[in-house]
Amino acid sequence: MTDPLVIFDLLLALAIVALAAASLSVRDLFSMIVLFIIFGLLSALAWVRLSAPDVALAEAAIGTGVTGALLLKTLHHLRFASGTLGQKAAYGVTPVAPVPMAVIMTNAVFCGLITLGLVVAFLGAPAAGPGFDPLVAEAMPQSGVEHPVTGVLLNFRSYDTLMEVVVLLAAVVAVWQIERGLSEAPAPAMGEVWQGFARLALPAIVVVGTYLLWVGAEAPGGAFQGGAVLAAVGLLLLLTRAYVPQPAHRGIARGAFVLGTAAFALVALLVASGGRVAFEYPLDHAKTLILLIEGMVTISIAVTLAALFHGREPVALAKGDRNDT
Amino acid sequence: MSVEISPMILSVFVPLFGAIAAFVLPRAAALIGFATLVLTSGAVAWLARDVLAAGAVGLPLGGWGAPLGIDLRADGLSVAMLALTSVVGFLVSIAALDSLKGPEQARQRQYFWPLWLLLLTGMNGVYLSTDIFNLYVMIEVIALAAVGLTVLSGSRAALQAGLDYMYASIFGALLFLMGVGFVYLQLGRLDFAGLTGAAPTGALIAALALIFVGLALKTALFPLHFWLPAAHANATAPASALLSGLVVKAALYVVLRLAQYMPFPSENLLTLVGLMGAGAVIWGGVQALRAERLKLLVAWSTVAQIGLIFVAFARAGEVGLSESWKAAALLILAHGIAKAAMFLAAGRIKDEIGHDVIRDLDRTPIRPTLAQFTFALAAISLIGLPPSLGFIGKWSLMEGAMAAGYWHWVGVTMAGTLLSVAYFSRVFAGFLRFDRVRAPVGEHQGWALADAAPLTLALMAIGLGLLAAPVLSFIEIGYPFGVAP
Amino acid sequence: MTPDLIYGLTGVAVFGIGLVGALSAQDRLRRVLALKLCSVGAGFLLVVGAWREPPAAPDPVPHALVITGIVVMVSATAVALALIRRLQTLEATDER
Repeated sequence: MTDPLVIFDLLLALAIVALAAASLSVRDLFSMIVLFIIFGLLSALAWVRLSAPDVALAEAAIGTGVTGALLLKTLHHLRFASGTLGQKAAYGVTPVAPVPMAVIMTNAVFCGLITLGLVVAFLGAPAAGPGFDPLVAEAMPQSGVEHPVTGVLLNFRSYDTLMEVVVLLAAVVAVWQIERGLSEAPAPAMGEVWQGFARLALPAIVVVGTYLLWVGAEAPGGAFQGGAVLAAVGLLLLLTRAYVPQPAHRGIARGAFVLGTAAFALVALLVASGGRVAFEYPLDHAKTLILLIEGMVTISIAVTLAALFHGREPVALAKGDRNDT
Repeated sequence: MSVEISPMILSVFVPLFGAIAAFVLPRAAALIGFATLVLTSGAVAWLARDVLAAGAVGLPLGGWGAPLGIDLRADGLSVAMLALTSVVGFLVSIAALDSLKGPEQARQRQYFWPLWLLLLTGMNGVYLSTDIFNLYVMIEVIALAAVGLTVLSGSRAALQAGLDYMYASIFGALLFLMGVGFVYLQLGRLDFAGLTGAAPTGALIAALALIFVGLALKTALFPLHFWLPAAHANATAPASALLSGLVVKAALYVVLRLAQYMPFPSENLLTLVGLMGAGAVIWGGVQALRAERLKLLVAWSTVAQIGLIFVAFARAGEVGLSESWKAAALLILAHGIAKAAMFLAAGRIKDEIGHDVIRDLDRTPIRPTLAQFTFALAAISLIGLPPSLGFIGKWSLMEGAMAAGYWHWVGVTMAGTLLSVAYFSRVFAGFLRFDRVRAPVGEHQGWALADAAPLTLALMAIGLGLLAAPVLSFIEIGYPFGVAP
Repeated sequence: MTPDLIYGLTGVAVFGIGLVGALSAQDRLRRVLALKLCSVGAGFLLVVGAWREPPAAPDPVPHALVITGIVVMVSATAVALALIRRLQTLEATDER
């Protein structure tokens, strides 16, 4: 007798692998991105099956949602720049030298061997082997939060999480440095029906995002998922042209980008007194401090992700000025 | 209630706050950058004093302690890397002030500082880390900041090189992350101490392979070096100096560090690492001989020198491993200082004579004498002539190889040395020939205060050779390789 | 057959597919996507490692690591895509 869930798992696994392969091999770039988005959502579903709802939320919102939006925006830009916007299928958008079949086959065989090696290594590893669970269970009462993943992210391994926010900051600094100007490709705008939908949806998204942040202390959710959902607000605002980035807003934007990192790092430093080390929150205030950090980080994540989507420093460029170094 | 702060946390947080300030206040970026570098160097000096007095020091962040939490740890090797980063970083920053001073470089100036300070945050974080996942995050901080610096000039060539660098960087980091996954599957923990003495099971061997290849890609070990020459040659001079002198060293340091904790490979694998290094020495040398531009030649020489460091690591085989890392560490320090000096000097030469085509170096009446002199001094250390630090490193390499009877590694080192003499001679010939252009002696000028920083670096690369003994005994503090003498 | 076995193999397979793409893809956008596939594969491995037979709760640490990995990857992707867009703009202007 087979557990019906096993059949579900097998089918889902097959679909995930097939979608991964299909997204890489389909010729049309638009289809590639759509297949990738479905792949990402199914992967998130698999992670729910593996009792990892936080990860699933993050993957669906950031790994798939934001990444998909970024890819689609870039494709739109590439089609515009290459003058292929009018064509039906999106290929030949970037100049691509044809790869000899022999090279592809060699690579495939090579990667197949590596994958086989990894499969052997995976099968040889202890199933449900040693982990941090006993340590986490023991330390949770001192963490100031009830949800273990939040405890790990914002307390036990908060140094990693701080540096993760730093990575996000580095990304937006780099992106602003790479691209500038108000807009080169006319931004993909939404039709009127969508505009109406967006106006209705915006408040709801804000509520969901804030709820995710708040609930993170006790249940799946938290700063990253909440931030991503709030970033969707930013995306909608940009797409509906309800908000158009202006050079004058750069100061505020910079402030919002660094807010999370600065608050996080300051709290980490300032708690180091009375025999405590950096990042060691006093137990009485741990929950408050963690919520404070999460709130600030959420704002930064939301604004940063939206800025990464917009993808350029809003600078008014003179006509024909493309290389202002 | 007073805040008690360790110099370790300051070495990471000061550059971080500096980066934030420099990004929020772009007009004061240079000033903030300098203040940050001074303060960071102060924190490193404070840490060096602590390490000298007490041996290796640790800090359990959050008070949890590994394996649940993340610990910072500093021993002689970490502090030596931090010091290298501070000193080279400080002098490169001085040079950057000059080379980014033009009005048309306002934008570069504005972004150089936050990116460079973020890079510094990431590198200092790597040198103090004791957790492999934390290393992954730090490596990504470095990667994004380094790519930003690579494309600072905004030219098409730099952007193309930056994109290739980005692909290689992400790919390397993902291989590393997959390796971290396998370590977790097998051991259930991620701190260095947890890796010690683990039996080499299938999962751990896979982890080791993935992590090594990922890091080799990041440090541009032959044959995974393809992204480096274009990226380092097309960046602006201060960025090239930081990328070649410092950034590749971070991944190299991680290789060195993990070699101590991971279940170590057999003799055969160590030979393979040495062979990749040997390939780099030869191929990098040949390409440097063929390079048409000065900066490209210098970039290829980096590929060769990185290879030499891996040869140094493999020089005495498994038995001599606990000694080999010292030769590798010395070469890392020597290359970091000398290569930064050389890239800055090459940038100065390019600025003064308007191009960096090696063939035409002797066709100009302008002779940036001081920059050429700096270039030559740096070359002395890179070739490995006494009394430079590079010489001591190479000597230590060959000594170990000879003691172990590994004459092939001696041969590779000699071949690499000859190649480096050959390719640098192409440049010297251009510097020294005057017969192609007739001009009054008075015009043989073109040196400025901007040459001070690279010259200081080059002199250090030579002079530190005389101080090699104290440097070596310093990096041994806390026994980075676990073996008491 | 338990979910960890099934999805563990799925993860390794997805990583392998990403590997082929990262080595073979010539198109800039496709290469970014291939790298993203690799990162999902690595995520699978960690989530699988954290899984415990219900009703036991999973290990939360790898979950936190994967969330970090996802945010890091989206940052890197954003930078790579910005480079691609800028390059394309420069190339298009040069050709005109």
